[in-house]
Amino acid sequence: MPPEKGIFPLDHMHLCDLEKKEYLGCLKTVGHQSEKCRDFSKKYLQCRMEKNLMAKQDLGELGFKERNGETPEGKPTERIDN
Amino acid sequence: MTWSRLGRRIYLSPYLRTLQNASAGSRCLGSVSEVSSYKSISCNIGFQHYFTSTRQLSRLDQELNTKSFRQYFYSLASVSQNVKSSRATSGVRHFSAHASKEKKSQKMLLYLTGLVFGMVGVTYAAVPLYRRFCQATGYGGTVQRRETVEEKIARHDKEKTVASREIVVQFNADIADGMPWKFIPTQRQIRVKPGESALAFYTAENKSSTPITGVSTYNVTPMKAAVYFNKIQCFCFEEQRLLPGEQIDMPVFFYIDPEIETDPRMDGINNIILSYTFFKVSEE
Repeated sequence: MPPEKGIFPLDHMHLCDLEKKEYLGCLKTVGHQSEKCRDFSKKYLQCRMEKNLMAKQDLGELGFKERNGETPEGKPTERIDN
Repeated sequence: MTWSRLGRRIYLSPYLRTLQNASAGSRCLGSVSEVSSYKSISCNIGFQHYFTSTRQLSRLDQELNTKSFRQYFYSLASVSQNVKSSRATSGVRHFSAHASKEKKSQKMLLYLTGLVFGMVGVTYAAVPLYRRFCQATGYGGTVQRRETVEEKIARHDKEKTVASREIVVQFNADIADGMPWKFIPTQRQIRVKPGESALAFYTAENKSSTPITGVSTYNVTPMKAAVYFNKIQCFCFEEQRLLPGEQIDMPVFFYIDPEIETDPRMDGINNIILSYTFFKVSEE
Protein backbone atom coordinates (compact mmCIF):
# COMPACT_ATOMS: atom_id res chain seq x y z
CA MET A 1 0.00 0.00 0.00
CA PRO A 2 1.53 3.33 -0.92
CA PRO A 3 2.29 5.85 1.82
CA GLU A 4 -0.53 8.16 2.80
CA LYS A 5 1.06 11.43 1.94
CA GLY A 6 3.23 10.14 -0.83
CA ILE A 7 6.94 10.09 -1.30
CA PHE A 8 9.55 12.22 0.40
CA PRO A 9 11.66 13.95 -2.22
CA LEU A 10 15.28 13.22 -1.53
CA ASP A 11 17.38 15.82 0.20
CA HIS A 12 20.19 15.82 -2.36
CA MET A 13 21.46 19.19 -1.19
CA HIS A 14 21.60 18.07 2.45
CA LEU A 15 19.59 21.12 3.46
CA CYS A 16 18.08 19.56 6.56
CA ASP A 17 21.11 17.57 7.61
CA LEU A 18 21.58 19.51 10.81
CA GLU A 19 18.09 18.84 12.06
CA LYS A 20 18.49 15.22 11.17
CA LYS A 21 21.71 14.93 13.11
CA GLU A 22 20.15 16.58 16.13
CA TYR A 23 17.27 14.16 16.04
CA LEU A 24 19.48 11.12 15.71
CA GLY A 25 21.73 12.38 18.45
CA CYS A 26 18.74 12.79 20.71
CA LEU A 27 17.58 9.28 19.99
CA LYS A 28 20.92 7.85 20.98
CA THR A 29 20.82 9.56 24.33
CA VAL A 30 17.33 8.47 25.30
CA GLY A 31 17.64 4.86 24.28
CA HIS A 32 15.80 5.40 21.00
CA GLN A 33 12.54 6.37 22.56
CA SER A 34 10.68 8.27 19.94
CA GLU A 35 8.45 10.28 22.24
CA LYS A 36 11.36 11.95 23.95
CA CYS A 37 12.70 13.34 20.72
CA ARG A 38 9.45 14.46 19.22
CA ASP A 39 10.51 18.06 19.14
CA PHE A 40 13.53 17.26 17.05
CA SER A 41 11.54 15.29 14.58
CA LYS A 42 9.10 18.18 14.45
CA LYS A 43 11.96 20.52 13.68
CA TYR A 44 13.18 18.25 10.95
CA LEU A 45 9.82 18.14 9.30
CA GLN A 46 9.45 21.88 9.57
CA CYS A 47 12.84 22.28 7.90
CA ARG A 48 11.67 20.05 5.08
CA MET A 49 8.56 22.08 4.63
CA GLU A 50 10.55 25.29 4.49
CA LYS A 51 12.91 23.93 1.89
CA ASN A 52 10.07 22.54 -0.20
CA LEU A 53 10.95 18.97 0.49
CA MET A 54 7.60 18.22 2.01
CA ALA A 55 4.05 19.38 1.49
CA LYS A 56 3.23 22.15 3.91
CA GLN A 57 0.81 21.09 6.55
CA ASP A 58 0.01 21.91 10.11
CA LEU A 59 2.16 19.55 12.12
CA GLY A 60 -0.50 19.38 14.76
CA GLU A 61 -2.48 17.31 12.35
CA LEU A 62 0.34 14.85 12.10
CA GLY A 63 0.46 14.20 15.80
CA PHE A 64 2.74 16.99 16.91
CA LYS A 65 0.40 18.78 19.23
CA GLU A 66 1.85 21.13 21.81
CA ARG A 67 1.30 18.95 24.81
CA ASN A 68 1.70 21.47 27.56
CA GLY A 69 2.18 19.83 30.88
CA GLU A 70 2.43 16.41 29.40
CA THR A 71 6.07 16.31 28.45
CA PRO A 72 8.21 13.79 30.30
CA GLU A 73 9.74 16.52 32.39
CA GLY A 74 6.33 17.61 33.53
CA LYS A 75 6.62 21.19 32.39
CA PRO A 76 6.11 22.87 29.06
CA THR A 77 9.38 22.87 27.22
CA GLU A 78 10.27 23.77 23.69
CA ARG A 79 13.58 22.03 23.48
CA ILE A 80 15.05 19.08 25.19
CA ASP A 81 18.51 20.09 26.15
CA ASN A 82 20.97 17.27 25.91
CA MET B 1 -63.78 -46.15 -49.90
CA THR B 2 -64.88 -47.61 -46.63
CA TRP B 3 -62.12 -50.24 -46.75
CA SER B 4 -59.44 -47.56 -47.17
CA ARG B 5 -60.95 -45.54 -44.35
CA LEU B 6 -60.97 -48.61 -42.18
CA GLY B 7 -57.35 -49.24 -43.08
CA ARG B 8 -56.36 -45.73 -42.10
CA ARG B 9 -58.11 -46.00 -38.80
CA ILE B 10 -56.38 -49.28 -38.00
CA TYR B 11 -53.03 -47.69 -38.87
CA LEU B 12 -53.71 -44.72 -36.68
CA SER B 13 -55.36 -46.38 -33.73
CA PRO B 14 -52.18 -47.52 -31.89
CA TYR B 15 -50.90 -43.95 -31.92
CA LEU B 16 -54.15 -42.62 -30.64
CA ARG B 17 -54.35 -45.27 -27.98
CA THR B 18 -50.87 -44.69 -26.56
CA LEU B 19 -51.30 -40.95 -26.60
CA GLN B 20 -54.65 -41.09 -24.92
CA ASN B 21 -53.23 -43.31 -22.24
CA ALA B 22 -50.38 -40.90 -21.72
CA SER B 23 -52.51 -37.81 -21.67
CA ALA B 24 -54.94 -39.34 -19.27
CA GLY B 25 -52.71 -38.53 -16.36
CA SER B 26 -51.89 -35.02 -17.51
CA ARG B 27 -52.83 -31.93 -15.68
CA CYS B 28 -54.16 -29.95 -18.55
CA LEU B 29 -57.29 -31.58 -19.71
CA GLY B 30 -59.31 -29.64 -22.09
CA SER B 31 -60.53 -29.57 -25.59
CA VAL B 32 -57.65 -31.31 -27.19
CA SER B 33 -58.51 -30.87 -30.77
CA GLU B 34 -58.85 -27.11 -30.65
CA VAL B 35 -55.94 -26.44 -28.31
CA SER B 36 -53.43 -24.08 -29.86
CA SER B 37 -49.76 -24.19 -29.10
CA TYR B 38 -50.07 -21.08 -26.94
CA LYS B 39 -52.56 -22.60 -24.57
CA SER B 40 -50.39 -25.61 -24.11
CA ILE B 41 -47.61 -23.41 -22.73
CA SER B 42 -49.50 -23.19 -19.48
CA CYS B 43 -49.09 -26.93 -19.14
CA ASN B 44 -46.10 -28.80 -18.03
CA ILE B 45 -43.57 -28.64 -20.86
CA GLY B 46 -43.23 -32.36 -20.90
CA PHE B 47 -46.80 -32.73 -21.81
CA GLN B 48 -46.62 -30.21 -24.59
CA HIS B 49 -45.39 -32.87 -26.86
CA TYR B 50 -48.33 -35.03 -26.08
CA PHE B 51 -50.73 -32.21 -26.60
CA THR B 52 -49.47 -30.95 -29.87
CA SER B 53 -49.19 -34.45 -31.09
CA THR B 54 -52.65 -35.23 -29.85
CA ARG B 55 -53.85 -32.15 -31.58
CA GLN B 56 -52.20 -33.19 -34.73
CA LEU B 57 -53.53 -36.67 -34.53
CA SER B 58 -57.02 -35.43 -33.92
CA ARG B 59 -56.55 -33.13 -36.84
CA LEU B 60 -55.38 -36.08 -38.81
CA ASP B 61 -58.55 -37.77 -37.80
CA GLN B 62 -60.42 -34.90 -39.40
CA GLU B 63 -58.18 -35.01 -42.40
CA LEU B 64 -58.86 -38.66 -42.82
CA ASN B 65 -62.38 -37.87 -43.69
CA THR B 66 -61.58 -35.06 -46.09
CA LYS B 67 -58.16 -35.50 -47.68
CA SER B 68 -56.75 -38.08 -49.97
CA PHE B 69 -54.79 -41.19 -49.03
CA ARG B 70 -51.50 -39.74 -50.14
CA GLN B 71 -51.88 -36.70 -47.96
CA TYR B 72 -52.79 -38.95 -45.05
CA PHE B 73 -49.51 -40.86 -45.35
CA TYR B 74 -47.58 -37.60 -45.48
CA SER B 75 -49.29 -36.34 -42.32
CA LEU B 76 -48.67 -39.60 -40.53
CA ALA B 77 -45.00 -39.60 -41.38
CA SER B 78 -44.56 -36.12 -40.00
CA VAL B 79 -46.36 -36.97 -36.76
CA SER B 80 -43.90 -39.73 -36.06
CA GLN B 81 -41.13 -37.15 -36.21
CA ASN B 82 -40.47 -34.62 -33.49
CA VAL B 83 -43.84 -32.98 -33.04
CA LYS B 84 -42.57 -29.47 -32.59
CA SER B 85 -40.83 -29.43 -35.95
CA SER B 86 -43.69 -31.05 -37.82
CA ARG B 87 -45.13 -29.17 -40.76
CA ALA B 88 -48.34 -31.16 -41.03
CA THR B 89 -50.65 -28.27 -40.26
CA SER B 90 -53.22 -26.86 -42.52
CA GLY B 91 -52.74 -23.47 -44.16
CA VAL B 92 -54.32 -21.04 -41.70
CA ARG B 93 -53.23 -22.82 -38.57
CA HIS B 94 -49.70 -23.13 -39.92
CA PHE B 95 -49.49 -19.39 -40.55
CA SER B 96 -50.81 -18.42 -37.13
CA ALA B 97 -48.51 -20.88 -35.40
CA HIS B 98 -45.60 -19.53 -37.37
CA ALA B 99 -46.53 -15.95 -36.55
CA SER B 100 -46.89 -16.68 -32.88
CA LYS B 101 -43.58 -18.54 -32.96
CA GLU B 102 -42.02 -15.51 -34.54
CA LYS B 103 -43.52 -13.24 -31.91
CA LYS B 104 -42.28 -15.62 -29.28
CA SER B 105 -38.77 -15.66 -30.67
CA GLN B 106 -38.74 -11.88 -30.96
CA LYS B 107 -39.77 -11.58 -27.37
CA MET B 108 -37.03 -14.04 -26.47
CA LEU B 109 -34.49 -12.00 -28.42
CA LEU B 110 -35.43 -8.81 -26.64
CA TYR B 111 -35.29 -10.54 -23.31
CA LEU B 112 -31.87 -12.02 -24.01
CA THR B 113 -30.45 -8.72 -25.29
CA GLY B 114 -31.75 -7.02 -22.19
CA LEU B 115 -30.15 -9.72 -20.11
CA VAL B 116 -26.78 -9.22 -21.79
CA PHE B 117 -26.85 -5.49 -21.16
CA GLY B 118 -27.98 -6.11 -17.64
CA MET B 119 -25.06 -8.44 -17.03
CA VAL B 120 -22.55 -5.96 -18.40
CA GLY B 121 -24.02 -3.28 -16.18
CA VAL B 122 -23.80 -5.52 -13.14
CA THR B 123 -20.13 -6.23 -13.91
CA TYR B 124 -19.36 -2.54 -13.93
CA ALA B 125 -21.34 -1.87 -10.83
CA ALA B 126 -19.75 -4.79 -9.01
CA VAL B 127 -16.44 -3.02 -8.44
CA PRO B 128 -17.62 -0.13 -6.26
CA LEU B 129 -20.31 -2.26 -4.69
CA TYR B 130 -17.81 -4.92 -3.66
CA ARG B 131 -15.49 -2.31 -2.28
CA ARG B 132 -18.29 -0.87 -0.20
CA PHE B 133 -19.25 -4.31 0.98
CA CYS B 134 -15.68 -5.06 2.01
CA GLN B 135 -15.40 -1.82 3.92
CA ALA B 136 -18.64 -2.42 5.69
CA THR B 137 -17.88 -5.97 6.68
CA GLY B 138 -14.10 -6.06 6.70
CA TYR B 139 -14.24 -9.21 4.63
CA GLY B 140 -10.91 -10.66 3.54
CA GLY B 141 -8.88 -8.46 5.83
CA THR B 142 -9.82 -5.17 4.27
CA VAL B 143 -9.01 -2.27 6.49
CA GLN B 144 -12.39 -1.26 7.72
CA ARG B 145 -12.07 2.44 8.11
CA ARG B 146 -10.49 4.16 5.20
CA GLU B 147 -9.73 7.32 7.05
CA THR B 148 -6.55 9.24 6.52
CA VAL B 149 -3.83 9.37 9.10
CA GLU B 150 -4.79 12.91 10.07
CA GLU B 151 -8.34 11.81 10.72
CA LYS B 152 -7.10 8.89 12.72
CA ILE B 153 -4.80 11.05 14.78
CA ALA B 154 -7.54 13.60 15.34
CA ARG B 155 -9.93 10.91 16.41
CA HIS B 156 -7.57 9.35 18.90
CA ASP B 157 -6.67 12.74 20.21
CA LYS B 158 -10.28 13.52 20.83
CA GLU B 159 -10.88 10.19 22.47
CA LYS B 160 -7.75 10.71 24.55
CA THR B 161 -6.62 7.18 23.92
CA VAL B 162 -3.65 6.52 26.11
CA ALA B 163 -1.28 3.96 24.77
CA SER B 164 0.43 1.83 27.31
CA ARG B 165 2.33 -0.65 25.26
CA GLU B 166 5.68 0.33 23.93
CA ILE B 167 6.50 -1.24 20.62
CA VAL B 168 10.02 -1.63 19.35
CA VAL B 169 10.27 -0.96 15.65
CA GLN B 170 13.38 -2.47 14.16
CA PHE B 171 14.72 -1.52 10.79
CA ASN B 172 16.16 -3.69 8.13
CA ALA B 173 17.71 -2.74 4.82
CA ASP B 174 18.45 -4.93 1.83
CA ILE B 175 19.70 -4.45 -1.66
CA ALA B 176 19.06 -6.59 -4.66
CA ASP B 177 21.82 -8.52 -6.37
CA GLY B 178 23.99 -6.45 -8.58
CA MET B 179 23.05 -3.20 -6.91
CA PRO B 180 26.28 -1.41 -5.96
CA TRP B 181 24.72 0.68 -3.22
CA LYS B 182 25.36 0.63 0.45
CA PHE B 183 21.99 0.78 2.11
CA ILE B 184 21.61 0.69 5.88
CA PRO B 185 19.17 1.96 8.46
CA THR B 186 20.60 4.96 10.24
CA GLN B 187 19.21 3.77 13.57
CA ARG B 188 18.73 0.12 14.41
CA GLN B 189 15.49 0.53 16.27
CA ILE B 190 13.04 3.00 17.66
CA ARG B 191 10.78 2.55 20.66
CA VAL B 192 7.46 4.02 19.94
CA LYS B 193 4.03 4.05 21.55
CA PRO B 194 1.00 3.47 19.37
CA GLY B 195 -0.62 6.74 18.49
CA GLU B 196 2.64 8.62 18.18
CA SER B 197 3.99 9.52 14.82
CA ALA B 198 7.67 8.74 14.54
CA LEU B 199 10.53 9.53 12.22
CA ALA B 200 13.24 7.15 11.12
CA PHE B 201 16.10 7.33 8.63
CA TYR B 202 17.88 5.11 6.17
CA THR B 203 21.18 5.94 4.54
CA ALA B 204 22.02 4.99 1.00
CA GLU B 205 25.31 5.46 -0.76
CA ASN B 206 26.16 4.88 -4.38
CA LYS B 207 29.48 3.10 -4.31
CA SER B 208 29.87 2.78 -8.05
CA SER B 209 31.23 5.22 -10.58
CA THR B 210 28.04 5.67 -12.57
CA PRO B 211 24.72 7.29 -11.62
CA ILE B 212 22.29 4.61 -10.64
CA THR B 213 18.55 4.76 -10.30
CA GLY B 214 16.91 2.52 -7.79
CA VAL B 215 13.46 1.87 -6.47
CA SER B 216 12.53 0.37 -3.15
CA THR B 217 9.76 -1.67 -1.70
CA TYR B 218 9.07 -2.46 1.89
CA ASN B 219 7.25 -4.89 4.05
CA VAL B 220 6.25 -5.13 7.66
CA THR B 221 6.52 -8.22 9.80
CA PRO B 222 4.61 -9.73 11.47
CA MET B 223 2.11 -9.60 8.65
CA LYS B 224 -0.92 -9.19 10.83
CA ALA B 225 0.55 -6.10 12.41
CA ALA B 226 0.94 -4.50 9.01
CA VAL B 227 -2.64 -3.33 9.14
CA TYR B 228 -1.84 -1.07 12.06
CA PHE B 229 1.41 0.26 10.65
CA ASN B 230 0.61 3.41 8.74
CA LYS B 231 3.27 5.01 6.69
CA ILE B 232 2.61 8.68 6.43
CA GLN B 233 5.47 9.41 4.12
CA CYS B 234 8.50 7.53 2.92
CA PHE B 235 10.80 7.08 -0.02
CA CYS B 236 9.48 3.84 -1.41
CA PHE B 237 8.04 2.99 -4.80
CA GLU B 238 9.55 5.96 -6.53
CA GLU B 239 12.74 5.94 -8.53
CA GLN B 240 15.60 7.56 -6.72
CA ARG B 241 18.73 8.53 -8.56
CA LEU B 242 22.07 8.71 -6.87
CA LEU B 243 25.17 10.18 -8.43
CA PRO B 244 28.41 8.26 -8.07
CA GLY B 245 29.71 8.48 -4.54
CA GLU B 246 26.62 10.31 -3.32
CA GLN B 247 25.32 9.53 0.13
CA ILE B 248 21.81 10.42 1.05
CA ASP B 249 19.41 10.11 3.96
CA MET B 250 15.99 8.73 3.36
CA PRO B 251 13.36 9.44 5.97
CA VAL B 252 10.36 7.36 6.87
CA PHE B 253 7.53 8.99 8.78
CA PHE B 254 5.15 6.46 10.27
CA TYR B 255 2.42 6.00 12.79
CA ILE B 256 1.19 2.94 14.65
CA ASP B 257 -2.53 2.83 15.15
CA PRO B 258 -3.53 2.70 18.83
CA GLU B 259 -6.13 0.14 17.90
CA ILE B 260 -3.33 -2.38 17.93
CA GLU B 261 -3.79 -2.56 21.67
CA THR B 262 -7.42 -3.52 21.55
CA ASP B 263 -6.98 -6.26 18.97
CA PRO B 264 -6.65 -9.64 20.74
CA ARG B 265 -4.61 -11.05 17.87
CA MET B 266 -1.91 -8.50 18.60
CA ASP B 267 -1.48 -9.55 22.18
CA GLY B 268 2.06 -10.81 22.14
CA ILE B 269 3.35 -8.35 19.60
CA ASN B 270 5.95 -5.96 20.88
CA ASN B 271 8.28 -6.02 17.94
CA ILE B 272 7.66 -4.83 14.46
CA ILE B 273 10.25 -5.06 11.74
CA LEU B 274 10.18 -2.65 8.86
CA SER B 275 12.23 -3.96 6.00
CA TYR B 276 13.22 -2.05 2.87
CA THR B 277 14.77 -3.50 -0.25
CA PHE B 278 16.34 -1.47 -3.04
CA PHE B 279 16.29 -2.68 -6.61
CA LYS B 280 18.22 -1.32 -9.52
CA VAL B 281 16.18 0.30 -12.22
CA SER B 282 18.82 1.57 -14.56
CA GLU B 283 22.44 2.47 -14.80
CA GLU B 284 23.70 5.25 -16.96
